[in-house]
Amino acid sequence: MGHSLKQTVLLLFAVFAMSTAAVAQFTVTGSVQDASGEPLIGVSIVIKGTTTGTASDLDGTFEINIPDGTESTLMFSYTGYKTSEVNVTRVNNTVNLTMEEDIAKLDEVVVTGLASGVKRSNSGVAVATVSGEELTENTTAQTLDNALYGKVPGVLMQSNSGAPGGGINMQLRGISTLGAGSSQPLYIVDGVYVDNSSIRTGRTQVSGASGGATTATQDGAANRIADLNPDDIANIEVLKGPSAAAIYGTRANAGVIIITTKKGQAGKTKVSLSQDIGFAQGQNFIGFDSWDEDKIVNFFGQDAAAPELEKLRAAQAEGRVTDWEEYFYGETPLLSNTNLRVSGGNQKTQFYVSGGAQSEDGIIEGTGFDRYSIRANIDHRLNDFIRLSVNSNYVNSVSDRGFTGNQNNTGGSLGYSIAYTPSYADLYPDDAGNYPDNQYFNDNPIAIRDLGVNEQKVDRFITAFNMDIDLLQTSNAFLKLKVNGGIDYLSGNSQVYFPEVLQHQRAQANPGDVMWGRQDIFNTNLQAFLTYNTNIGSVNSNTSVGGVRLDQDSEFLLSRGRGLLLGQNNLQWAQVVSTQEQTNQTVTDLGWVAQQDFNWEDKLILSLGVRFDRSTLNRDQEKYYAFPKASLAANLSNFDFWNLSDVNQFKLRAAYGETGGLPNFGNTFESLNSQLIGGSIGSQVSARSIDPNLEPETASELEFGLDIGLFDNRITFEGTYYNKEVRDLILDLTPAGSVGVGAIATNAADLTNEGIELAVGFNPVRSTNLDWFTKLMWWTNESEITRLDIPTRTVGGFGNSLGTYLIAEGYSPTTIVGNPSGTSIPGGLTVYGDRQPDFTMTWFNQINFLKNFDLSFLFHYQGGGSAINLSALLWDLGGTTPGWDDDPDGDGVGVGSERVAAWSGGNTGVYIEDTDYLKLRELGLYYTFPQSALPGPLERLKIGASVNNLLLWTNYGSYDPEVSNFGAQPITGNIEVTPFPSSRRIFFHVKMDF
Amino acid sequence: MIRSINKILAFTLCACLTLFTACEIEEVIDPNNPSLDGVLNDASQSEIQSLVTGLEAAHRGYFNNATQLFGTFGREVWPYFGSDPRFQQDWLGTNITETYPDFFGSAGTYTTPYQAIRQANVLIQSAQNASVLSNEQLNGVTGFAKTLEAYQYIWPLMQQYDNGIRIDVDEPLNPGPFLEYDDALAAIRMLLNEGNSDLGNAGSSFFFDLTSGFSGFNDPDGMQQVNRAIAARLALYAEDYQGALTALNNSFMDLNVTEATSDKMFIGPAHVYGEAPDVNNPLFYPLDQPTNTILIVHPALIEDALPGDARLDKFAERVNNPVQNSGITDANGNQLLGRYQDARWATNTSPIPFIRNEELILIYAEANAQLGNAAEAVDAINTIRNTWGLADYDGATDTESLMEEILFQRRYSLWAEAGHRWIDLRRTGRLNSDYVDLRDTGNIFTEVARRTSETNWENRNG
Repeated sequence: MGHSLKQTVLLLFAVFAMSTAAVAQFTVTGSVQDASGEPLIGVSIVIKGTTTGTASDLDGTFEINIPDGTESTLMFSYTGYKTSEVNVTRVNNTVNLTMEEDIAKLDEVVVTGLASGVKRSNSGVAVATVSGEELTENTTAQTLDNALYGKVPGVLMQSNSGAPGGGINMQLRGISTLGAGSSQPLYIVDGVYVDNSSIRTGRTQVSGASGGATTATQDGAANRIADLNPDDIANIEVLKGPSAAAIYGTRANAGVIIITTKKGQAGKTKVSLSQDIGFAQGQNFIGFDSWDEDKIVNFFGQDAAAPELEKLRAAQAEGRVTDWEEYFYGETPLLSNTNLRVSGGNQKTQFYVSGGAQSEDGIIEGTGFDRYSIRANIDHRLNDFIRLSVNSNYVNSVSDRGFTGNQNNTGGSLGYSIAYTPSYADLYPDDAGNYPDNQYFNDNPIAIRDLGVNEQKVDRFITAFNMDIDLLQTSNAFLKLKVNGGIDYLSGNSQVYFPEVLQHQRAQANPGDVMWGRQDIFNTNLQAFLTYNTNIGSVNSNTSVGGVRLDQDSEFLLSRGRGLLLGQNNLQWAQVVSTQEQTNQTVTDLGWVAQQDFNWEDKLILSLGVRFDRSTLNRDQEKYYAFPKASLAANLSNFDFWNLSDVNQFKLRAAYGETGGLPNFGNTFESLNSQLIGGSIGSQVSARSIDPNLEPETASELEFGLDIGLFDNRITFEGTYYNKEVRDLILDLTPAGSVGVGAIATNAADLTNEGIELAVGFNPVRSTNLDWFTKLMWWTNESEITRLDIPTRTVGGFGNSLGTYLIAEGYSPTTIVGNPSGTSIPGGLTVYGDRQPDFTMTWFNQINFLKNFDLSFLFHYQGGGSAINLSALLWDLGGTTPGWDDDPDGDGVGVGSERVAAWSGGNTGVYIEDTDYLKLRELGLYYTFPQSALPGPLERLKIGASVNNLLLWTNYGSYDPEVSNFGAQPITGNIEVTPFPSSRRIFFHVKMDF
Repeated sequence: MIRSINKILAFTLCACLTLFTACEIEEVIDPNNPSLDGVLNDASQSEIQSLVTGLEAAHRGYFNNATQLFGTFGREVWPYFGSDPRFQQDWLGTNITETYPDFFGSAGTYTTPYQAIRQANVLIQSAQNASVLSNEQLNGVTGFAKTLEAYQYIWPLMQQYDNGIRIDVDEPLNPGPFLEYDDALAAIRMLLNEGNSDLGNAGSSFFFDLTSGFSGFNDPDGMQQVNRAIAARLALYAEDYQGALTALNNSFMDLNVTEATSDKMFIGPAHVYGEAPDVNNPLFYPLDQPTNTILIVHPALIEDALPGDARLDKFAERVNNPVQNSGITDANGNQLLGRYQDARWATNTSPIPFIRNEELILIYAEANAQLGNAAEAVDAINTIRNTWGLADYDGATDTESLMEEILFQRRYSLWAEAGHRWIDLRRTGRLNSDYVDLRDTGNIFTEVARRTSETNWENRNG
């Protein structure tokens, strides 16, 4: 390869040298600056109707030769600024241009192909873009995905819990899989496929949340996109549905999130330092019920109350009656986030180097998230026709997420334990550090908090390389070769540990339990594209063809030691050592892509493309699947007949695309399982089987949209309707329970997601002393299963009586059902709600006043939606619900007991609640010092304060209506079991540029 | 110019093609596990051995659930399992009078044994396709597999009772019909007889190894004795008392047991347990540790026991740590304390016999009582009583009185061994509050509702 590349380069060089023949021409010179007079470096200047162009230099100046003719039009474009056109002639050959900021972002380039993009105003599909400023300038989010809340229409984001270090379920445009494939979008960072899995820690087994099943997902681990430093990000593009994401083919059913990191710009070296310091506090407490003598008699019964009453009196006398909720969740931990960026370069080489350190403790003592990240992005222009770039990132992150959520028989969840533990329980350790036994539950939660370990460490390298070669450049055409790819290497280590001194460990045969996890993931991807661009009359044609290859290798080992001695957690000190799980995976995808775009004078823009993919994840590993796409944008306002001058943009667009969804690794193998008995390993027939003709899931989407810009884009409107069909959903056919096969994977269902996304931007006041920009977004999605070839079934949760999800034709797969049975819906049961909200609305405001003040805030409203609140059941069972023994009906039975009786009598609906909420996600107020007031080298000084999740209004009866005990699930989220409560984060900021 | 463009194009395309096609994609086969196809097509002896071991492992899956769930139904035990209220509310039936489909915590005596049945069927199929096996070797495999398979059918049948169960489950997508209780029982006994006759044609030894749980029974002759012991239990359930006696005759029953040789009561094949990755003895709990997750002896067993009954050693008092649960209360709402726990198991790896001499003696007593051989019945009853330090039976010897006595002895002899009490009371028409202590305000279930997957399958394909 090295040899042939060199040959190519030499050959190209020769060709290029020959083609630069002199013709009749004139020269235009000039300079470009922004509104404040700062020179703009690297502005692209292209002669209209051609592909010839140049870029402004370090001083913002440029020089361009206009071939032929006497007059021409130059087009100036620069990220974040509106494209300007300037007429030049042989006489009028000097340009001094002040570029205007692009508030409506119509001129930013959005991704439409693997090697191409178009201006937003020409895009035939809705691509949501979030800039780095929008991500991090208002307040500091803990993780990248957290920073996207409320900023992308058409996304349903739900935090799985409030534990530090992330953990978010992100679903774009409804439901894309019922569980066989990935429900989470594909993340691409600078062209590298990055891993976003949640790495198992085995907390599930150690806390007993699930009785030893290795497939359980109650570990509460975060998804690994949390490793990226939000501060490094220049922008994020969200390809929500197949119409936009078709270019990513077989992995794009759940959408694609394309992240571009910051680059250096030629010019003076800039140094930026920002420091955020703040604290967090529990956002919303339930307010545990207090215990008095009446309540004790009520709860334990007259006969059993006497010893309890004594304990209450003793606790009162010793002054240790405790609100356990406040005690465990009431910390106000320190949050710190430091970022240092150095960037600059010259015309040939630009660099961006950054270091970030984020250190955040959680509202439960001993929990926290630390992330250290360094990055170097280097761009280099080897010569006039070869450009290289390398983006390198190393991340080290450590999460201590504690013990919350579900448990069984261990007390290995603080929330679960304190639900059952009355305020007068004697739990405080003595001076020697001995923790009293908790008679009300399996363990003393203070001991669990202080002595238990649940830690996950990740080291990660993400490196992207990119090479652009101009193979050919004429006045009317260019041919480029773009080769890029990268590596994502992740090494994860985890430990979950309960020492042998814990109460529940002493109650087991081999006290002391440790689970060590080891994960290696090595992903590489490579793609090469040829792009040929030419003008055919007044139509610009852009053709690209290329190939893509992705390789993923991962090795996972979870080892468990039980019966630990001398307070050791090393496996060598365990009496019983076993391998909980070892899973190795190898995957290769190969794809071929061709795309053709036509642009007729920015009036009609047509894009056609097709991608052929094969993957070893498919049952038929050699078969290619085709994913076509097409889109058309009609900028009516650019046609000659358009005479509404106030309407500066009026675009109709339509798009169609198809994508695929690969089965998860292992889902296409019919294998035997191992089981040890009496010293011998036996092989057991799996309870899962596979349809031999299994096909991958595919989705197609039809999208229509209307984009309007009024009064020079001071008012913008973007409306999109989509209909996304997912076909051949892989679903387990549940045979009769007696055949010994619990599930046969088949292509059993189709579903549709239909939705509307609306966004209105308005800049009502734009003056020196007040500039107010406001943006309202509203979206909705409805899912419905349109074909189901298997009997109606339920999935997820803890069985019918505790609420589960219904898979039935004519129903949304996110329908929550429960007892009683015998109603009219298929399979019996009663419908109680839907996990997906009816609609979501966000309201963003950015107000610049008195020149130097910036105020911004973001409200997020979710209308509708339901969740299964099992915390409330546990609180009722333990007598901790607020007002537990209130008795409004005067029958002598408190409301808490009445709810439990109604539930156990067969009404699951008692604990299924609405999740409507209004959150003030972000609030920030900043002051930027006037430049004149700054000393010496300081170029910018900005200080401010902000709050993340300041306010929450909801009727939901627990900490946060965003919750999922089982992590990021395609359909079965919104089940809560005493989660880590969410927190409000308050920051003070200093940002300095030198 | 155009020519050079073409050259470049051609060259670059070639370079790209080389880049991608040079790296061939190898087919990925499961790197973590062997395939099912491999053992179904002309398996080797070691592959069949691994399926045999797998069957033995699957064979013990039902035991925990049968002991806990059926034991709770018959109030042998109380489920003080603190983490899920359904163990109390649903299992005791404090607010419900009938179970519901997919009843909480009931898959262990339905889906689990059916998985063992599938394992047995795959083993039989694998052995039949294996050219390496001699006819005797093949009969050894099928005889063993059918014996265990028949035993596994007991559990779904006991759980479902009047709902009936499926017996023909060879083809996952084409299962046979539901058979009513009597028909299902007859079919299971027939399968057991087939197993017995296969074992009779299996030569003098097995080519495969079994765990120490089958020591003494790990050849065709020994396995036939196990087969006949199971046949005796099923004959009793089918009220074929003569059949029970015949089967006992060919089983490992030993009536010659005294207080000094009480160990002989425990002779029989056992489920074995070990440390991870093996499975622990599911009934083992360290004594008197502070926990609120433990299976508790129902207090009626302590209260009703005859003085001096050595079988009370099965129970250990939780002196320091009685356990409570807000779901187990009396009619006045007082939480009932759990004071006694299971003390039978020395360690969490102790084996558990799944059919043993003591049960066979009790079957012998019952069959004789039913056939009017009162003297034989009383002798057998006294063997039980004397072994455990109790004086001879001095009550009436009519069948009803003897049945009362036998059921009383079964209650203590077979306590918490996969739910005998509930099954015994039901088959003898005594499943009512005279025999089931309902101080916990719960209800008595006769059977568990048919599972949703079965109803769905019937609705869809029936």
